[in-house]
Formats: sequence, structure tokens, C-alpha cells
Amino acid sequence: MSGFDNFNTDFYQSSYSVDDQAQSGYGYGNTEDPYNKPYGQYDYSQPMGYSAPGMMQPQQPYTGQIFQPTQTFTPSPSQSMYSSSFDDEPPLLEELGINFDHIWQKTLTVLHPMKAADGSIMNETDLAGPMVFCLAFGATLLLTGKIQFGYVYGISAIGCLGMYCLLNLMSMTGVSFGCVASVLGYCLLPMILLSSFGVLFSLQGMMGIIISAAIIGWCSFSASKIFISALAMDGQQLLVAYPCALLYGVFALISVF
Amino acid sequence: MILFSFKLLSGKKKSAPFWTFEYYQTFFDVETHQIKDRIVGSVLPWRGKNFIHLYIRKNPDLYGPFWICATLVFAIAISGNISNFLVHLGGPKFRYVPEFRKVTMAATAIYSYAWLVPLALWGLLLWRNNKVMSLVSYSFMEIVCVYGYSLSIYIPAVVLWIIPYEQVRWCSIVVALCLSGSVLVLTFWPAVKDDHPRVSIAIIAAIVALNVLLAVGCQAYFFSKPEPDLQVVSSSAPGEMKAIPST
Repeated sequence: MSGFDNFNTDFYQSSYSVDDQAQSGYGYGNTEDPYNKPYGQYDYSQPMGYSAPGMMQPQQPYTGQIFQPTQTFTPSPSQSMYSSSFDDEPPLLEELGINFDHIWQKTLTVLHPMKAADGSIMNETDLAGPMVFCLAFGATLLLTGKIQFGYVYGISAIGCLGMYCLLNLMSMTGVSFGCVASVLGYCLLPMILLSSFGVLFSLQGMMGIIISAAIIGWCSFSASKIFISALAMDGQQLLVAYPCALLYGVFALISVF
Repeated sequence: MILFSFKLLSGKKKSAPFWTFEYYQTFFDVETHQIKDRIVGSVLPWRGKNFIHLYIRKNPDLYGPFWICATLVFAIAISGNISNFLVHLGGPKFRYVPEFRKVTMAATAIYSYAWLVPLALWGLLLWRNNKVMSLVSYSFMEIVCVYGYSLSIYIPAVVLWIIPYEQVRWCSIVVALCLSGSVLVLTFWPAVKDDHPRVSIAIIAAIVALNVLLAVGCQAYFFSKPEPDLQVVSSSAPGEMKAIPST
């Protein structure tokens, strides 16, 4: 308080002393009414954040950043809520983002190609299902003696990249890469049927060709149906189905040969 | 990078610089029935109906040419392998090895025909237009469209080349050449007819010659000729087959 009195009385006597007192009484003066300061000091002290005056020591020289607001401590709501009790924690699956109901709905959409798809199911990108299907496909191929996990992953990656570019070019709204990968992964499910059929019977006859063609058609039809319902592309289903058919045709080639 | 785009007063198309993504989005704005109409129009040329004027003038697209070329590459590779397999089917101790190198060769040939030849043609037409004012001028994308769709007749032709009979092959190649050649000629004749007669004839002849070269070259390179008489001699090493044509 005495510093402040000195400041008032010595104000008009010398500018030098005013500056000195401004430096020393800097932090202290900030805890008082900040609007009472002369203009020269006002610029320095305003960003100090007088929302938490209790944090700042008086008589301390200013060591923070000029014109930058200081970080004030506000406890995050989740921390205060969840650290309070164990029962308040959300279930593990919800935290991980795995929703079994949605996974089952998406699987059913793929398995019924004639049923109209709901566009909103693809809103969250879920890569857990597609990873499981890729691994299952590789496992069924392993049962026939073909160790070709590398080909499966490589072709999936390149195919997803190609479809991502094409769908971004063709649709009004864009798509994210995760959405494309998720849809293409789910529609790989009928291909697992084909490769498991190939475990029991050889696919290299006429019967195998017919079944492969039917399954390729089923996969690409489901994939294009989901894409056009999620992206609202009317009248372009066959245009989207054709590149999907080429991609699934490559998978079928791996299964057959 | 600053995106500079403005709306044309009459049309609804935005024009963006060609190095941005949005520029290419305008070329994929087609629907299934439009693509079907364009393919049918490229296969059935009709005198007096210009392919570009009828189908493409408002809306050139890149979907058709790109995927028709891709399909043709796969068709050539697969059919070439199958015809190779069928020709040597009766021979003992023949082990079929799929040749994947054919895919890359086919891709190079088809894509350079479908993209470099339109580039050259567009440059040529631009140069002639400077000298002779022509009523008709085509943009680069439209020429790419015409060439891309004109290749669509080759897809069934290539599938027919699997059949190892010379008559069938010659018949299909002649029909395909006639159809695609006439589509190209009917499209480009209005653009060059105002020019000096020798120059216009030369341009049309070059277009037709390149078309013929592509078709005959593909057939000769990718499809093995069925030998009329083949005498198979099995050598001492297992799995080897020597073929001596009988005199």
C-alpha cells in the first residue's frame, strides 16, 4: 500500500521515479483496481489475467509473456466427474468406440443386398469390423495353403486409395478415407464365403467361375448401394459398382488361383 | 495457394484453375444413363450425327475414357492369357504360366494411344486453326472423350479373339476397325474440311492409320497365332516341350 501512495505523490515530480515505481509496484498494483493506472502501464498489465489474482505474488517483476494471456487453471469437467468415483466411468467399449449393435446392423446391410440401406449408419468410421474380415479372409486362404496376407493387405490399401480418389471426384460432399475403408472392408464378407467354399471344392471349374462371378456381383452391389445412400449420389450406382467389381475381382483371383 | 473461381453468367459451371482438385470434379458429373448413351453412340456411327455435338458438347467426362481404357487393358491381358492357354491345350507336358508382363505392356500401349494421340491431334488442330478459320473447334477434353469412347468397341472384339480360328479373328478385327474408324472420321471431318484438301486428307489418314496400327499390333503381340500343324517332340528333360512345325 505504501508503494501505491508513493506512486501518487511522486507522480508529477519526475518521470524517472514514476517508471521505477511502475516496475516495482507492477504486480502489486495489478491486484488493485486496474483501471486506475495511467495509460502507459495499462497495456502491460491488462493481459496478466486478473481473473486469478490469487496466483500472483505482489512485488514480483513481470516475467510472463507480453500481450499473451496467462494460462489459468480450470479443472476439466471429465476429470472432476470421473475421478470422483469408479462407478461413474463410462463402459470400456463405449470409450473405445466399438458399438456392437452398429457392427451387426452394417453386417446385415451387406448380407441383404436387396434391402435399401440407411445412409446414416456410415457416419462413424469403424475399422474394427473390416480388420476382422480381412484377417478371416487371410485365414480361409491359409486353409487352402496360400499364405497371402501381404497381397490381401496391399490390394486393400491400394483399392481403398483408388476408391477414395474416385468418390471424392464423383460426389458433391466429400468422403473421408476411414469411411471408404470401412465400407469396402464390410463388403468383403461375401468374399470370405467364396474362399471358404474354395477350401472344400476346387474353384477352377465352370462352377467355380459362376460362383465367383455371383459373389463379385454381390460384393460390389452392396458396396455401391451403401456408398450412394451415404453420399446421396443418384443415378450413379452402376458407375460406382464397376470399380468396386474390379477390386473384388482381384480378391476373387487371389482366392481362385 | 489461392483458389480463383468465378461463376459464368450463362452456365452453371464453375471454372477453377487446372491444378486444383475442383477442376477435375467437374469431369465426373455424369450419370449411368449418360455413359450408356455415349457408349452406344460410339459403337453405332450414323452419318450426319457428330458424336461430340450430340453427346458430349455440354459435358465432357473423364470417367468413361479412363474406365474404358482400364477395362480394355484387363480384357487384353486376360484374353491373351486364355488364348495362349487354349492354343497349347492339347500339348502334353505343357505347363501354363500366366504372363503378367502383358498387363503392363497393354496398359502402356492403350493409355498412350488414348491420351498422347489426342494431345497431338489437339495441338495440330490448334495450329491449323491459327492458319485457317474453322467453324468447328474441339477442346482437349472432348477429343480425349471421343478417343476413349471409340475404344469401347474393342472390348467385345478382344473377347472374340480368344477363339483360335483365323476367320473369326479377322472378321471381328475388320468390324471393330470399321466402326471405331468411322466414328473418328465422322467426328473430325467437320473440323478439318475447311482446310487445304491435302492437309485434311493427311490428318484423316493419320487418324485411321493409328487406329489400324493399334488393333493389328495388339492382336499380333498379345495373341498367339494358332499354328496349323504342330509336331510335339518331348525331350529328355521333364516338363519341357519342343514344337517343330511340320514342313
